[in-house]
Amino acid sequence: MSRADGPTLAELQRRFFELVTGPEGVARELAARGVPAGALAAIIAGDARASAVDRLDVYANMYFFRILDVLRSDYPKLLAVVGDDAFHNLATDYLQAHPSRHPSLRFVGAALPTFVATHALARERPWLGALAALEWARVDVFDRADAAPLTREALAIVAPEDFATLPLAPVPASALVPAAWTIEETWRSIEDERGPQAPAPAEAGHALLIWRRGVTVHHRAVAAAERRALELLLGRTTFGALCTALGDEVDSEEDAAARAVQLLGGWLADELLAAPA
Amino acid sequence: MIEVPALGHGIGLRTEHYADVLATNPPVDWFEVISDNFMVPGGNPRRVLRAVRERWPVVLHGVALSLGAVDPLNERYLDALAALAHEIEPAIVSDHLCWGSHGGAYAHDLLPLPFTEEALANTAARVLRVQDRLKRQILVENVSSYVAFTQSTMPEWEFLTALAARTDCGLLLDVNNVFVSAHNHGFDARAFIDALPVGRVGQFHLAGHSQVGELLLDTHDHPVRDEVWDLYRHAVARFGAVPTLIEWDDKMPSLARVVEESQRAKAVAAEARSAAREAPRVAR
Repeated sequence: MSRADGPTLAELQRRFFELVTGPEGVARELAARGVPAGALAAIIAGDARASAVDRLDVYANMYFFRILDVLRSDYPKLLAVVGDDAFHNLATDYLQAHPSRHPSLRFVGAALPTFVATHALARERPWLGALAALEWARVDVFDRADAAPLTREALAIVAPEDFATLPLAPVPASALVPAAWTIEETWRSIEDERGPQAPAPAEAGHALLIWRRGVTVHHRAVAAAERRALELLLGRTTFGALCTALGDEVDSEEDAAARAVQLLGGWLADELLAAPA
Repeated sequence: MIEVPALGHGIGLRTEHYADVLATNPPVDWFEVISDNFMVPGGNPRRVLRAVRERWPVVLHGVALSLGAVDPLNERYLDALAALAHEIEPAIVSDHLCWGSHGGAYAHDLLPLPFTEEALANTAARVLRVQDRLKRQILVENVSSYVAFTQSTMPEWEFLTALAARTDCGLLLDVNNVFVSAHNHGFDARAFIDALPVGRVGQFHLAGHSQVGELLLDTHDHPVRDEVWDLYRHAVARFGAVPTLIEWDDKMPSLARVVEESQRAKAVAAEARSAAREAPRVAR
Protein backbone atom coordinates (compact mmCIF):
# COMPACT_ATOMS: atom_id res chain seq x y z
CA MET A 1 0.00 0.00 0.00
CA SER A 2 2.66 2.45 -0.89
CA ARG A 3 2.57 3.09 -4.60
CA ALA A 4 1.07 6.35 -5.72
CA ASP A 5 2.44 6.19 -9.25
CA GLY A 6 0.76 4.45 -12.17
CA PRO A 7 -1.89 5.66 -14.57
CA THR A 8 -4.24 8.50 -13.77
CA LEU A 9 -7.73 7.51 -12.70
CA ALA A 10 -9.06 8.50 -16.12
CA GLU A 11 -6.43 6.43 -17.90
CA LEU A 12 -7.00 3.45 -15.61
CA GLN A 13 -10.75 3.52 -16.19
CA ARG A 14 -10.30 3.86 -19.95
CA ARG A 15 -8.02 0.82 -20.13
CA PHE A 16 -10.16 -1.23 -17.74
CA PHE A 17 -13.35 -0.42 -19.66
CA GLU A 18 -11.83 -1.29 -23.02
CA LEU A 19 -10.56 -4.63 -21.75
CA VAL A 20 -13.75 -5.78 -20.04
CA THR A 21 -16.06 -4.72 -22.88
CA GLY A 22 -14.02 -6.32 -25.67
CA PRO A 23 -15.82 -9.03 -27.65
CA GLU A 24 -13.62 -12.03 -26.85
CA GLY A 25 -12.24 -11.74 -23.36
CA VAL A 26 -9.32 -9.93 -21.78
CA ALA A 27 -6.43 -12.02 -23.13
CA ARG A 28 -7.53 -11.58 -26.76
CA GLU A 29 -8.27 -7.93 -26.19
CA LEU A 30 -4.76 -7.41 -24.83
CA ALA A 31 -3.31 -9.25 -27.82
CA ALA A 32 -5.41 -7.24 -30.25
CA ARG A 33 -4.09 -4.06 -28.70
CA GLY A 34 -0.50 -5.33 -28.68
CA VAL A 35 -0.28 -5.11 -24.88
CA PRO A 36 1.86 -7.81 -23.21
CA ALA A 37 0.03 -9.54 -20.34
CA GLY A 38 2.88 -8.48 -18.07
CA ALA A 39 1.88 -4.85 -18.54
CA LEU A 40 -1.47 -5.65 -16.97
CA ALA A 41 0.21 -7.19 -13.94
CA ALA A 42 1.88 -3.83 -13.30
CA ILE A 43 -1.56 -2.31 -12.73
CA ILE A 44 -3.63 -5.17 -11.37
CA ALA A 45 -2.40 -7.42 -8.58
CA GLY A 46 -2.68 -11.11 -9.47
CA ASP A 47 -1.60 -13.97 -7.27
CA ALA A 48 -1.03 -17.72 -7.40
CA ARG A 49 -4.79 -18.33 -7.23
CA ALA A 50 -5.80 -16.09 -10.13
CA SER A 51 -3.77 -14.00 -12.55
CA ALA A 52 -4.54 -10.39 -13.37
CA VAL A 53 -6.07 -11.54 -16.67
CA ASP A 54 -8.26 -14.14 -14.93
CA ARG A 55 -9.47 -11.57 -12.46
CA LEU A 56 -10.29 -9.01 -15.12
CA ASP A 57 -12.07 -11.72 -17.09
CA VAL A 58 -14.57 -12.01 -14.24
CA TYR A 59 -15.69 -8.49 -15.13
CA ALA A 60 -15.58 -9.16 -18.87
CA ASN A 61 -17.86 -12.16 -18.42
CA MET A 62 -20.24 -10.38 -16.12
CA TYR A 63 -20.45 -7.45 -18.53
CA PHE A 64 -21.45 -9.62 -21.44
CA PHE A 65 -23.71 -12.11 -19.70
CA ARG A 66 -25.62 -9.50 -17.73
CA ILE A 67 -26.52 -7.68 -20.94
CA LEU A 68 -27.13 -10.93 -22.81
CA ASP A 69 -29.67 -11.88 -20.11
CA VAL A 70 -31.50 -8.59 -20.60
CA LEU A 71 -31.55 -8.99 -24.38
CA ARG A 72 -32.85 -12.55 -24.05
CA SER A 73 -35.57 -11.29 -21.76
CA ASP A 74 -36.50 -8.37 -24.04
CA TYR A 75 -36.42 -10.44 -27.26
CA PRO A 76 -37.73 -13.93 -26.38
CA LYS A 77 -39.32 -14.46 -29.81
CA LEU A 78 -36.22 -13.41 -31.73
CA LEU A 79 -34.27 -15.78 -29.49
CA ALA A 80 -36.74 -18.58 -30.23
CA VAL A 81 -36.27 -18.06 -33.97
CA VAL A 82 -32.47 -17.87 -34.16
CA GLY A 83 -31.55 -20.13 -31.22
CA ASP A 84 -29.14 -19.69 -28.31
CA ASP A 85 -25.83 -19.75 -30.17
CA ALA A 86 -26.80 -17.35 -32.94
CA PHE A 87 -28.41 -15.03 -30.41
CA HIS A 88 -25.23 -15.07 -28.34
CA ASN A 89 -23.18 -14.08 -31.38
CA LEU A 90 -25.75 -11.47 -32.37
CA ALA A 91 -25.48 -9.93 -28.89
CA THR A 92 -21.68 -9.88 -29.19
CA ASP A 93 -21.84 -8.07 -32.53
CA TYR A 94 -24.57 -5.75 -31.29
CA LEU A 95 -22.63 -4.61 -28.23
CA GLN A 96 -19.62 -3.79 -30.36
CA ALA A 97 -21.77 -1.60 -32.59
CA HIS A 98 -24.07 -0.25 -29.88
CA PRO A 99 -22.45 -0.07 -26.45
CA SER A 100 -25.00 0.89 -23.82
CA ARG A 101 -25.47 4.66 -23.61
CA HIS A 102 -28.05 4.79 -20.86
CA PRO A 103 -27.48 4.15 -17.15
CA SER A 104 -30.43 1.74 -17.08
CA LEU A 105 -30.34 -1.71 -18.64
CA ARG A 106 -33.94 -1.02 -19.61
CA PHE A 107 -32.68 0.68 -22.78
CA VAL A 108 -29.75 -1.55 -23.69
CA GLY A 109 -31.67 -3.35 -26.44
CA ALA A 110 -33.24 -0.27 -28.04
CA ALA A 111 -31.20 -0.43 -31.25
CA LEU A 112 -31.39 -4.20 -31.77
CA PRO A 113 -34.33 -4.09 -34.24
CA THR A 114 -32.45 -1.87 -36.70
CA PHE A 115 -29.20 -3.72 -36.02
CA VAL A 116 -30.57 -7.22 -36.65
CA ALA A 117 -32.32 -6.01 -39.81
CA THR A 118 -28.93 -5.53 -41.45
CA HIS A 119 -27.11 -8.37 -39.66
CA ALA A 120 -25.99 -11.50 -41.51
CA LEU A 121 -28.74 -13.40 -39.66
CA ALA A 122 -31.34 -11.43 -41.62
CA ARG A 123 -30.13 -12.69 -45.00
CA GLU A 124 -32.17 -15.86 -44.69
CA ARG A 125 -34.91 -14.27 -42.64
CA PRO A 126 -35.37 -10.67 -43.78
CA TRP A 127 -38.24 -10.31 -41.32
CA LEU A 128 -36.10 -10.56 -38.15
CA GLY A 129 -35.98 -6.77 -37.85
CA ALA A 130 -39.79 -6.61 -37.95
CA LEU A 131 -40.07 -9.27 -35.26
CA ALA A 132 -37.56 -7.43 -33.06
CA ALA A 133 -39.37 -4.13 -33.67
CA LEU A 134 -42.59 -5.66 -32.36
CA GLU A 135 -40.83 -7.05 -29.31
CA TRP A 136 -39.11 -3.75 -28.55
CA ALA A 137 -42.37 -1.80 -28.89
CA ARG A 138 -43.91 -4.16 -26.34
CA VAL A 139 -40.98 -3.53 -23.96
CA ASP A 140 -41.27 0.18 -24.59
CA VAL A 141 -44.97 0.61 -23.82
CA PHE A 142 -44.74 -1.62 -20.74
CA ASP A 143 -43.59 1.19 -18.46
CA ARG A 144 -44.66 4.34 -20.27
CA ALA A 145 -46.74 6.91 -18.42
CA ASP A 146 -50.12 5.91 -17.01
CA ALA A 147 -53.30 7.61 -18.17
CA ALA A 148 -56.96 7.10 -17.41
CA PRO A 149 -58.76 5.78 -20.51
CA LEU A 150 -61.60 7.71 -22.12
CA THR A 151 -64.88 5.94 -21.35
CA ARG A 152 -68.19 5.64 -23.17
CA GLU A 153 -69.83 7.32 -20.19
CA ALA A 154 -67.59 10.39 -20.61
CA LEU A 155 -68.40 10.50 -24.34
CA ALA A 156 -72.13 10.18 -23.70
CA ILE A 157 -72.28 13.61 -22.08
CA VAL A 158 -70.56 15.40 -24.98
CA ALA A 159 -73.09 17.68 -26.69
CA PRO A 160 -73.66 16.78 -30.37
CA GLU A 161 -72.51 20.23 -31.49
CA ASP A 162 -69.20 19.72 -29.65
CA PHE A 163 -68.34 16.42 -31.34
CA ALA A 164 -66.53 17.98 -34.29
CA THR A 165 -64.01 19.65 -31.99
CA LEU A 166 -63.79 16.73 -29.55
CA PRO A 167 -60.06 16.20 -28.97
CA LEU A 168 -58.84 12.63 -29.42
CA ALA A 169 -55.54 11.55 -27.89
CA PRO A 170 -54.05 8.10 -27.42
CA VAL A 171 -52.89 6.77 -24.06
CA PRO A 172 -49.13 7.46 -23.76
CA ALA A 173 -48.45 3.71 -23.67
CA SER A 174 -49.21 3.17 -27.35
CA ALA A 175 -47.19 2.86 -30.55
CA LEU A 176 -47.77 2.11 -34.20
CA VAL A 177 -45.07 0.05 -35.91
CA PRO A 178 -45.17 -0.36 -39.71
CA ALA A 179 -44.53 -3.98 -40.72
CA ALA A 180 -43.76 -5.26 -44.19
CA TRP A 181 -44.45 -8.80 -42.95
CA THR A 182 -47.33 -10.45 -41.11
CA ILE A 183 -44.95 -10.66 -38.19
CA GLU A 184 -47.80 -10.88 -35.68
CA GLU A 185 -48.38 -14.41 -36.96
CA THR A 186 -44.78 -15.39 -36.23
CA TRP A 187 -45.08 -13.85 -32.77
CA ARG A 188 -48.30 -15.76 -32.13
CA SER A 189 -46.87 -19.09 -33.32
CA ILE A 190 -44.05 -18.83 -30.80
CA GLU A 191 -46.34 -17.61 -28.04
CA ASP A 192 -48.60 -20.63 -28.65
CA GLU A 193 -45.57 -22.96 -28.69
CA ARG A 194 -46.28 -24.13 -32.23
CA GLY A 195 -42.70 -23.43 -33.28
CA PRO A 196 -41.70 -20.27 -35.14
CA GLN A 197 -43.72 -19.84 -38.35
CA ALA A 198 -42.23 -17.58 -41.00
CA PRO A 199 -44.44 -14.58 -41.82
CA ALA A 200 -45.80 -13.73 -45.25
CA PRO A 201 -45.16 -10.43 -47.00
CA ALA A 202 -47.88 -8.07 -45.78
CA GLU A 203 -50.20 -5.95 -47.86
CA ALA A 204 -49.20 -2.33 -48.32
CA GLY A 205 -49.90 -0.23 -45.25
CA HIS A 206 -49.83 -3.15 -42.82
CA ALA A 207 -48.85 -2.09 -39.30
CA LEU A 208 -49.00 -3.22 -35.70
CA LEU A 209 -50.66 -1.31 -32.94
CA ILE A 210 -49.02 -1.91 -29.56
CA TRP A 211 -50.60 -0.50 -26.43
CA ARG A 212 -50.98 -1.09 -22.72
CA ARG A 213 -54.33 -1.63 -21.15
CA GLY A 214 -54.00 -1.38 -17.38
CA VAL A 215 -50.67 -3.09 -16.83
CA THR A 216 -50.96 -5.59 -19.68
CA VAL A 217 -49.35 -4.99 -23.08
CA HIS A 218 -51.38 -5.91 -26.16
CA HIS A 219 -50.77 -5.72 -29.88
CA ARG A 220 -52.86 -6.30 -32.99
CA ALA A 221 -52.42 -5.98 -36.70
CA VAL A 222 -54.07 -3.04 -38.45
CA ALA A 223 -54.79 -2.68 -42.16
CA ALA A 224 -53.98 0.39 -44.21
CA ALA A 225 -57.27 2.23 -43.61
CA GLU A 226 -57.14 2.02 -39.83
CA ARG A 227 -53.43 2.72 -39.93
CA ARG A 228 -54.01 6.12 -41.49
CA ALA A 229 -56.62 6.90 -38.83
CA LEU A 230 -54.27 5.73 -36.08
CA GLU A 231 -51.48 7.91 -37.43
CA LEU A 232 -53.83 10.85 -37.05
CA LEU A 233 -54.78 9.74 -33.55
CA LEU A 234 -51.20 9.23 -32.42
CA GLY A 235 -50.42 12.75 -33.60
CA ARG A 236 -53.49 13.89 -31.60
CA THR A 237 -56.52 14.97 -33.53
CA THR A 238 -60.20 15.82 -33.23
CA PHE A 239 -63.21 13.78 -34.15
CA GLY A 240 -63.97 16.29 -36.92
CA ALA A 241 -60.50 16.02 -38.43
CA LEU A 242 -60.78 12.25 -38.31
CA CYS A 243 -64.08 12.40 -40.24
CA THR A 244 -62.54 14.73 -42.81
CA ALA A 245 -59.60 12.42 -43.35
CA LEU A 246 -61.87 9.41 -43.67
CA GLY A 247 -63.98 11.34 -46.18
CA ASP A 248 -61.25 10.82 -48.76
CA GLU A 249 -61.83 7.08 -48.55
CA VAL A 250 -65.61 6.75 -48.60
CA ASP A 251 -68.44 8.01 -50.77
CA SER A 252 -70.23 10.42 -48.47
CA GLU A 253 -69.88 12.47 -45.30
CA GLU A 254 -72.37 10.15 -43.65
CA ASP A 255 -70.22 7.16 -44.50
CA ALA A 256 -67.15 8.96 -43.14
CA ALA A 257 -68.93 9.78 -39.88
CA ALA A 258 -70.19 6.21 -39.59
CA ARG A 259 -66.68 4.88 -40.19
CA ALA A 260 -65.24 7.31 -37.60
CA VAL A 261 -67.82 6.22 -35.03
CA GLN A 262 -66.97 2.60 -35.76
CA LEU A 263 -63.24 3.22 -35.24
CA LEU A 264 -63.94 5.23 -32.12
CA GLY A 265 -65.98 2.35 -30.70
CA GLY A 266 -63.12 -0.07 -31.25
CA TRP A 267 -60.57 2.26 -29.70
CA LEU A 268 -62.81 2.85 -26.69
CA ALA A 269 -63.19 -0.88 -26.20
CA ASP A 270 -59.42 -1.26 -26.46
CA GLU A 271 -58.91 1.55 -23.90
CA LEU A 272 -56.62 3.16 -26.44
CA LEU A 273 -57.99 6.68 -25.97
CA ALA A 274 -56.87 8.84 -23.06
CA ALA A 275 -59.37 10.76 -20.96
CA PRO A 276 -58.81 14.53 -21.11
CA ALA A 277 -56.29 15.54 -18.43
CA MET B 1 -22.49 11.00 12.01
CA ILE B 2 -25.74 9.76 10.57
CA GLU B 3 -29.15 9.05 11.97
CA VAL B 4 -29.87 5.35 11.65
CA PRO B 5 -33.59 4.75 11.14
CA ALA B 6 -34.99 1.96 13.32
CA LEU B 7 -36.29 -0.05 10.40
CA GLY B 8 -35.56 -3.61 11.43
CA HIS B 9 -35.16 -6.34 8.81
CA GLY B 10 -36.14 -6.02 5.17
CA ILE B 11 -35.90 -7.81 1.86
CA GLY B 12 -35.44 -6.71 -1.72
CA LEU B 13 -38.59 -6.19 -3.80
CA ARG B 14 -38.13 -8.34 -6.89
CA THR B 15 -40.31 -8.76 -9.98
CA GLU B 16 -40.82 -12.48 -9.36
CA HIS B 17 -42.48 -11.70 -6.02
CA TYR B 18 -44.63 -8.67 -6.92
CA ALA B 19 -47.93 -10.54 -6.94
CA ASP B 20 -47.11 -12.53 -3.78
CA VAL B 21 -46.02 -9.44 -1.88
CA LEU B 22 -49.24 -7.59 -2.62
CA ALA B 23 -51.44 -10.65 -2.02
CA THR B 24 -49.85 -12.02 1.15
CA ASN B 25 -48.50 -9.01 3.11
CA PRO B 26 -45.34 -10.89 4.14
CA PRO B 27 -43.98 -10.32 7.65
CA VAL B 28 -41.03 -8.09 6.74
CA ASP B 29 -40.29 -4.69 8.25
CA TRP B 30 -39.43 -2.87 5.01
CA PHE B 31 -38.51 -3.28 1.36
CA GLU B 32 -35.48 -2.17 -0.55
CA VAL B 33 -36.01 -1.45 -4.24
CA ILE B 34 -33.45 -0.96 -6.98
CA SER B 35 -34.08 2.70 -7.78
CA ASP B 36 -33.14 2.27 -11.43
CA ASN B 37 -35.97 -0.21 -12.03
CA PHE B 38 -38.54 2.36 -10.99
CA MET B 39 -37.19 5.42 -12.80
CA VAL B 40 -39.84 4.85 -15.44
CA PRO B 41 -42.95 6.91 -16.12
CA GLY B 42 -45.60 4.32 -15.32
CA GLY B 43 -46.95 0.83 -15.78
CA ASN B 44 -46.72 -2.12 -13.45
CA PRO B 45 -43.40 -1.27 -11.72
CA ARG B 46 -44.71 2.08 -10.51
CA ARG B 47 -48.09 0.60 -9.57
CA VAL B 48 -46.43 -2.07 -7.42
CA LEU B 49 -44.05 0.41 -5.82
CA ARG B 50 -46.91 2.74 -4.86
CA ALA B 51 -48.86 -0.16 -3.35
CA VAL B 52 -45.83 -1.43 -1.43
CA ARG B 53 -45.02 2.06 -0.17
CA GLU B 54 -48.54 2.40 1.24
CA ARG B 55 -47.88 -0.58 3.50
CA TRP B 56 -44.14 -0.56 4.28
CA PRO B 57 -41.14 1.76 4.60
CA VAL B 58 -39.10 1.68 1.40
CA VAL B 59 -35.37 2.14 0.90
CA LEU B 60 -33.98 3.24 -2.50
CA HIS B 61 -30.82 1.44 -3.58
CA GLY B 62 -29.24 2.50 -6.87
CA VAL B 63 -26.69 0.86 -9.11
CA ALA B 64 -25.78 3.57 -11.63
CA LEU B 65 -24.75 6.78 -9.89
CA SER B 66 -21.23 5.69 -10.81
CA LEU B 67 -19.84 7.62 -7.84
CA GLY B 68 -16.23 6.76 -8.60
CA ALA B 69 -16.25 7.41 -12.36
CA VAL B 70 -14.28 10.06 -14.17
CA ASP B 71 -17.14 10.48 -16.63
CA PRO B 72 -19.30 13.50 -15.81
CA LEU B 73 -21.99 12.72 -13.26
CA ASN B 74 -25.18 11.93 -15.16
CA GLU B 75 -27.39 14.81 -14.06
CA ARG B 76 -30.47 13.44 -15.82
CA TYR B 77 -30.12 10.22 -13.86
CA LEU B 78 -29.68 12.26 -10.69
CA ASP B 79 -32.80 14.28 -11.51
CA ALA B 80 -34.76 11.07 -12.01
CA LEU B 81 -33.49 9.73 -8.70
CA ALA B 82 -34.44 12.98 -6.97
CA ALA B 83 -37.94 12.80 -8.46
CA LEU B 84 -38.36 9.18 -7.33
CA ALA B 85 -37.10 10.02 -3.83
CA HIS B 86 -39.49 12.97 -3.67
CA GLU B 87 -42.42 10.73 -4.50
CA ILE B 88 -41.49 7.66 -2.44
CA GLU B 89 -40.01 9.40 0.62
CA PRO B 90 -37.57 6.56 1.22
CA ALA B 91 -36.04 5.94 4.63
CA ILE B 92 -32.61 5.58 3.00
CA VAL B 93 -31.01 6.34 -0.38
CA SER B 94 -27.87 4.43 -1.26
CA ASP B 95 -25.49 3.50 -4.07
CA HIS B 96 -22.06 1.91 -4.37
CA LEU B 97 -18.40 2.77 -4.05
CA CYS B 98 -17.61 1.96 -7.65
CA TRP B 99 -17.70 3.26 -11.19
CA GLY B 100 -19.65 1.89 -14.13
CA SER B 101 -19.33 4.15 -17.13
CA HIS B 102 -16.60 5.44 -19.36
CA GLY B 103 -16.79 7.79 -22.32
CA GLY B 104 -20.57 7.85 -22.01
CA ALA B 105 -20.87 4.06 -22.29
CA TYR B 106 -22.18 1.96 -19.42
CA ALA B 107 -20.86 -1.41 -18.23
CA HIS B 108 -23.90 -1.96 -15.97
CA ASP B 109 -21.53 -3.31 -13.38
CA LEU B 110 -20.03 -2.21 -10.08
CA LEU B 111 -16.42 -1.76 -11.15
CA PRO B 112 -13.71 -1.41 -8.52
CA LEU B 113 -11.68 1.69 -7.75
CA PRO B 114 -8.03 2.06 -6.93
CA PHE B 115 -7.80 3.32 -3.37
CA THR B 116 -5.80 6.45 -4.06
CA GLU B 117 -6.05 10.07 -3.02
CA GLU B 118 -7.05 10.96 -6.60
CA ALA B 119 -9.96 8.48 -6.56
CA LEU B 120 -10.97 9.62 -3.08
CA ALA B 121 -11.09 13.29 -4.08
CA ASN B 122 -13.05 12.47 -7.23
CA THR B 123 -15.56 10.27 -5.42
CA ALA B 124 -15.99 12.71 -2.55
CA ALA B 125 -16.80 15.57 -4.93
CA ARG B 126 -19.48 13.44 -6.60
CA VAL B 127 -20.99 12.24 -3.32
CA LEU B 128 -21.22 15.87 -2.21
CA ARG B 129 -22.97 16.81 -5.46
CA VAL B 130 -25.45 13.96 -5.10
CA GLN B 131 -26.23 14.81 -1.49
CA ASP B 132 -26.63 18.46 -2.43
CA ARG B 133 -29.08 17.58 -5.21
CA LEU B 134 -31.05 15.09 -3.11
CA LYS B 135 -30.89 17.32 -0.04
CA ARG B 136 -30.08 14.35 2.16
CA GLN B 137 -27.25 12.09 3.22
CA ILE B 138 -26.73 8.99 1.17
CA LEU B 139 -25.19 5.67 2.15
CA VAL B 140 -22.27 4.36 0.09
CA GLU B 141 -21.84 0.59 -0.11
CA ASN B 142 -18.62 -1.40 -0.31
CA VAL B 143 -18.70 -3.70 -3.35
CA SER B 144 -17.33 -7.19 -3.91
CA SER B 145 -14.20 -6.99 -6.02
CA TYR B 146 -12.12 -9.40 -8.01
CA VAL B 147 -9.15 -7.18 -8.81
CA ALA B 148 -6.99 -4.97 -6.64
CA PHE B 149 -4.88 -2.19 -8.11
CA THR B 150 -1.17 -2.05 -7.45
CA GLN B 151 -1.29 1.73 -7.19
CA SER B 152 -3.68 1.73 -4.19
CA THR B 153 -2.16 3.62 -1.29
CA MET B 154 -4.70 2.73 1.40
CA PRO B 155 -6.97 -0.17 2.25
CA GLU B 156 -10.63 -0.02 1.30
CA TRP B 157 -11.82 0.59 4.86
CA GLU B 158 -9.56 3.62 5.14
CA PHE B 159 -10.92 4.93 1.84
CA LEU B 160 -14.54 4.47 3.01
CA THR B 161 -13.83 6.08 6.37
CA ALA B 162 -12.16 9.08 4.73
CA LEU B 163 -15.02 9.37 2.20
CA ALA B 164 -17.57 9.46 5.02
CA ALA B 165 -15.53 12.04 6.94
CA ARG B 166 -15.11 14.31 3.91
CA THR B 167 -18.69 14.17 2.68
CA ASP B 168 -20.67 13.37 5.83
CA CYS B 169 -22.22 10.46 3.96
CA GLY B 170 -23.13 7.21 5.68
CA LEU B 171 -21.95 3.73 4.83
CA LEU B 172 -23.90 0.71 3.74
CA LEU B 173 -21.89 -2.22 5.00
CA ASP B 174 -22.41 -5.22 2.77
CA VAL B 175 -21.21 -8.00 5.02
CA ASN B 176 -21.14 -10.55 2.22
CA ASN B 177 -19.09 -8.20 0.04
CA VAL B 178 -16.54 -7.82 2.84
CA PHE B 179 -16.30 -11.60 3.08
CA VAL B 180 -15.99 -12.04 -0.70
CA SER B 181 -13.38 -9.32 -1.14
CA ALA B 182 -11.42 -10.50 1.92
CA HIS B 183 -11.18 -13.95 0.37
CA ASN B 184 -10.31 -12.63 -3.09
CA HIS B 185 -7.62 -10.24 -1.87
CA GLY B 186 -6.41 -11.99 1.26
CA PHE B 187 -7.29 -9.46 3.93
CA ASP B 188 -8.95 -9.97 7.31
CA ALA B 189 -12.72 -9.43 7.03
CA ARG B 190 -13.04 -8.59 10.73
CA ALA B 191 -10.30 -6.00 10.48
CA PHE B 192 -12.31 -4.30 7.71
CA ILE B 193 -15.39 -4.14 9.93
CA ASP B 194 -13.43 -3.08 13.03
CA ALA B 195 -11.87 -0.20 11.11
CA LEU B 196 -15.16 1.43 10.04
CA PRO B 197 -16.41 4.17 12.34
CA VAL B 198 -19.40 3.43 14.56
CA GLY B 199 -22.10 5.99 13.85
CA ARG B 200 -21.48 5.97 10.11
CA VAL B 201 -22.95 2.59 9.20
CA GLY B 202 -26.65 3.03 8.37
CA GLN B 203 -27.53 -0.28 6.76
CA PHE B 204 -26.29 -3.85 6.36
CA HIS B 205 -26.64 -6.08 3.32
CA LEU B 206 -26.53 -9.86 3.54
CA ALA B 207 -26.47 -12.18 0.54
CA GLY B 208 -25.20 -15.48 -0.76
CA HIS B 209 -22.11 -15.89 -2.92
CA SER B 210 -20.55 -18.56 -5.14
CA GLN B 211 -17.08 -19.94 -5.61
CA VAL B 212 -15.77 -20.01 -9.18
CA GLY B 213 -12.27 -21.42 -9.39
CA GLU B 214 -10.26 -19.80 -6.64
CA LEU B 215 -12.37 -16.65 -6.42
CA LEU B 216 -15.63 -15.92 -4.66
CA LEU B 217 -18.28 -14.12 -6.71
CA ASP B 218 -21.07 -11.97 -5.30
CA THR B 219 -23.88 -13.81 -7.07
CA HIS B 220 -26.87 -13.28 -4.72
CA ASP B 221 -28.10 -16.73 -5.74
CA HIS B 222 -27.72 -18.70 -2.51
CA PRO B 223 -28.72 -18.48 1.13
CA VAL B 224 -26.32 -16.50 3.31
CA ARG B 225 -23.29 -18.69 4.06
CA ASP B 226 -22.41 -19.65 7.63
CA GLU B 227 -19.17 -17.67 7.57
CA VAL B 228 -21.12 -14.58 6.55
CA TRP B 229 -23.59 -15.09 9.40
CA ASP B 230 -20.58 -15.14 11.74
CA LEU B 231 -19.31 -11.91 10.24
CA TYR B 232 -22.79 -10.41 10.57
CA ARG B 233 -22.75 -11.23 14.31
CA HIS B 234 -19.43 -9.42 14.51
CA ALA B 235 -20.84 -6.39 12.67
CA VAL B 236 -23.96 -6.24 14.83
CA ALA B 237 -21.84 -6.42 17.98
CA ARG B 238 -19.91 -3.40 16.73
CA PHE B 239 -22.57 -1.27 15.06
CA GLY B 240 -25.74 -2.28 16.91
CA ALA B 241 -29.31 -2.43 15.58
CA VAL B 242 -28.69 -1.38 12.00
CA PRO B 243 -31.40 -2.03 9.36
CA THR B 244 -30.50 -5.28 7.62
CA LEU B 245 -31.46 -6.43 4.14
CA ILE B 246 -31.45 -9.88 2.59
CA GLU B 247 -30.51 -9.63 -1.10
CA TRP B 248 -31.51 -12.48 -3.39
CA ASP B 249 -31.42 -11.81 -7.13
CA ASP B 250 -30.76 -15.02 -8.99
CA LYS B 251 -32.03 -18.61 -8.79
CA MET B 252 -34.87 -16.86 -7.05
CA PRO B 253 -36.67 -18.91 -4.40
CA SER B 254 -40.20 -18.31 -3.17
CA LEU B 255 -41.04 -15.12 -1.33
CA ALA B 256 -41.55 -17.23 1.80
CA ARG B 257 -37.97 -18.52 1.60
CA VAL B 258 -36.53 -15.00 1.35
CA VAL B 259 -38.71 -13.89 4.26
CA GLU B 260 -37.43 -16.87 6.26
CA GLU B 261 -33.85 -15.72 5.61
CA SER B 262 -34.79 -12.25 6.83
CA GLN B 263 -36.28 -13.69 10.00
CA ARG B 264 -33.09 -15.63 10.56
CA ALA B 265 -31.17 -12.35 10.26
CA LYS B 266 -33.46 -10.84 12.87
CA ALA B 267 -32.81 -13.73 15.26
CA VAL B 268 -29.06 -13.66 14.65
CA ALA B 269 -28.95 -9.90 15.25
CA ALA B 270 -30.91 -10.19 18.50
CA GLU B 271 -28.60 -12.92 19.70
CA ALA B 272 -25.50 -10.92 18.73
CA ARG B 273 -26.72 -7.77 20.46
CA SER B 274 -27.52 -9.72 23.58
CA ALA B 275 -24.07 -11.33 23.57
CA ALA B 276 -22.46 -7.92 23.00
CA ARG B 277 -24.30 -6.44 25.99
CA GLU B 278 -22.95 -9.19 28.21
CA ALA B 279 -19.41 -8.90 26.89
CA PRO B 280 -17.02 -6.26 28.27
CA ARG B 281 -17.15 -3.06 26.25
CA VAL B 282 -14.34 -2.53 23.82
CA ALA B 283 -12.84 0.77 22.88
CA ARG B 284 -14.37 2.23 19.75
